[in-house]
Amino acid sequence: MLKATKKRFDIKILVANSTVSETFELEKNIVKVHGVLVTSDKDDLLYYRGTQKIEINKEEFFPDNYESKLLMSGINVAPKQRYYDLGGVAPGNGRVQISYKDLDDGRTMFTPYRVSLYLDCEMEDEL
Amino acid sequence: MMKEGVIIKTISIKRQGERKHFQIRLPKDTKFIIGVEYGGRLISRTEGAIEAPAPKAKADAKLVEVIYSAIESGAVRDDKPKAFFKRNQLIGELKLQSCEEANWFYAADVFGNDANLNWGDFSQTGFPVNDFTHGNKRTEEVVKVDAESTIINGWYLDALGKSQKLDINYEIKVYVWINVEE
Repeated sequence: MLKATKKRFDIKILVANSTVSETFELEKNIVKVHGVLVTSDKDDLLYYRGTQKIEINKEEFFPDNYESKLLMSGINVAPKQRYYDLGGVAPGNGRVQISYKDLDDGRTMFTPYRVSLYLDCEMEDEL
Repeated sequence: MMKEGVIIKTISIKRQGERKHFQIRLPKDTKFIIGVEYGGRLISRTEGAIEAPAPKAKADAKLVEVIYSAIESGAVRDDKPKAFFKRNQLIGELKLQSCEEANWFYAADVFGNDANLNWGDFSQTGFPVNDFTHGNKRTEEVVKVDAESTIINGWYLDALGKSQKLDINYEIKVYVWINVEE
């Protein structure tokens, strides 16, 4: 039986104007990735300063310099509609790579922050 | 099988009233242009812009905001004399043309953040309303244009620097969503 599940992966941005790349692995029983969402513990820094590249199974879904604000949803958005729809992609080898770039913006002052990548997945029930 | 992809073009603006012509090259296997969206980043602070006092909850993020006088803004008023809707800051004008067809297939006024977002909040809980906390999910504007020539001509005109009579250094990112044949 298939069931919906959400996955969260965190990266830390400790230095201004830096790029942080990390690869995460999804469980083997995940069969589809339906959506993606990014959030942060300091939303304003993510919104104004962040860009990222996201790859799933070595396939690029969002290229370098794709602004994080385009993948964010505020609390005014209904919880079931917050994820950016990828259309149900197969995870393949299950590797999710995020390459996040922090860039100065005249409206913000840097302080270390966390970026969370959420994936809306469908997994095979282990029972 | 068709696959979606996005091409990003960055336009750098440094002078007031600057007009930029640019081209966006698409991959050869592009079939259609299916959507356009934009974003932006302020690179340098400006000396003349008035900084709005930062609310307590976001003391580390001072937003540069232009304060309009009520007379020049032509603002819409409600019954209360002090309650004015603020005009959104116009950043510039963006136009895109495909080599396949005459005329622009996309033309937009590029605006900054929604200056009146807080008018939709009646909770009065003290949770400051901002685009990054209360904003809607962004989606591209849908267009459908043949992309056989694989080149888009673009035009951007600065309005932010012109309105403030300052050279403001910022960049605009144009996202062109395409359908690619696999």
